[in-house]
Amino acid sequence: MATLHVLSHSPFTDSRLSSCLRLLGSQDALLLCGDAVYALQAGSAQRQALELMPEAIALYALDEDVQARGLVQPARLTLVDYPAFVALSCQYDKVNTWL
Amino acid sequence: MSKSLLIISRQAPWSGPGAREALDIALAGGAFDLPIGLLFLDDGVFQLSGAQQPANLQQKDLGANLQALPMFGVEALYASQRSLEERGLQDQLSSLAVERLDDAGLSALIDRYDQVLTL
Amino acid sequence: MLASLFYACNAHLGGSGFIIPANWLAGFAMKFAIALFSPPYAPSSRRALRFAQAALASGHEIVRLFFYQDGVHSASSNVVCAQDEVDLPREWREFVHAQQLDGVVCIAAALRRGVLNDDEAQRYSRTAANLDAPWELSGLGQLHEAAQLADRLVCFGGP
Repeated sequence: MATLHVLSHSPFTDSRLSSCLRLLGSQDALLLCGDAVYALQAGSAQRQALELMPEAIALYALDEDVQARGLVQPARLTLVDYPAFVALSCQYDKVNTWL
Repeated sequence: MSKSLLIISRQAPWSGPGAREALDIALAGGAFDLPIGLLFLDDGVFQLSGAQQPANLQQKDLGANLQALPMFGVEALYASQRSLEERGLQDQLSSLAVERLDDAGLSALIDRYDQVLTL
Repeated sequence: MLASLFYACNAHLGGSGFIIPANWLAGFAMKFAIALFSPPYAPSSRRALRFAQAALASGHEIVRLFFYQDGVHSASSNVVCAQDEVDLPREWREFVHAQQLDGVVCIAAALRRGVLNDDEAQRYSRTAANLDAPWELSGLGQLHEAAQLADRLVCFGGP
């Protein structure tokens, strides 16, 4: 079973990203949206943590949130729009949003 | 066959209605005879503390609702070992029977369920 | 690559062994249960609506929308938005009407937060009702039923 984990909180004041990273399954994926895209901020420990995730963990971010914040995406990141977000939720066995 | 649902409860007991509302989802699922699991993670493990006296805050005792879980058929109760240790709670828990899991165990737990809801 | 195709078809076909490319699987119509936990001024409320719209546009079905916790405010008739801002409660309402969706607001969460329809306002002798059609007040059983009926339960909340 592969889970798509969805995060929307900023990782700088909140523990959801670090908790999530600890329990990712080997086939899981991470989708950043809302303030969670700040984890992509260059030069941050959070960005580094994302870069260090095993290659098999797919990393996605909602395009509107990345563009709104003027962030630079790492090579391993795939930007998604809403239709692609929907497709991902079908592709993965379940969606776990860290509310 | 019913789909199973794992509820991950991450809020401290009185940080707002979050802990109570996560529990309500679990109890409702149990009342409908659905396969429900409940995992206490991060500050959610504070709900398991044996030393609570909520009357001081004019709050309800969540512990009573937690004790009702097995009566509603929700016996798959889990807590993150790491979250307990971070908060020094390993030896201060109430009598509720929860299985403690390390990170790998948590990952495997999530895998076993058809759906997850993390509050 | 072959392993992931096999894995994908096992997950969807219970291991019948028939190989279907993973991208074909994404094209099958799925049933979604969408749960919202945040108020209309949270970005996640708009995100949930855009996701729901995209799901229907992609040919999927939404078995139910269930509003819980602060999500009950996203169904409020009383939210007043500035002229130059997105009126999300209105957009949600219009979406549910236009697509004839089942829009359910959790009654316990709503009462606690002062979101009441006419019946509840009368029952509790409150001066105003702020929940109207198309929203129905009901219990958590509706969330569980939706989760059972759906292929995917997708939740939105937080920022």
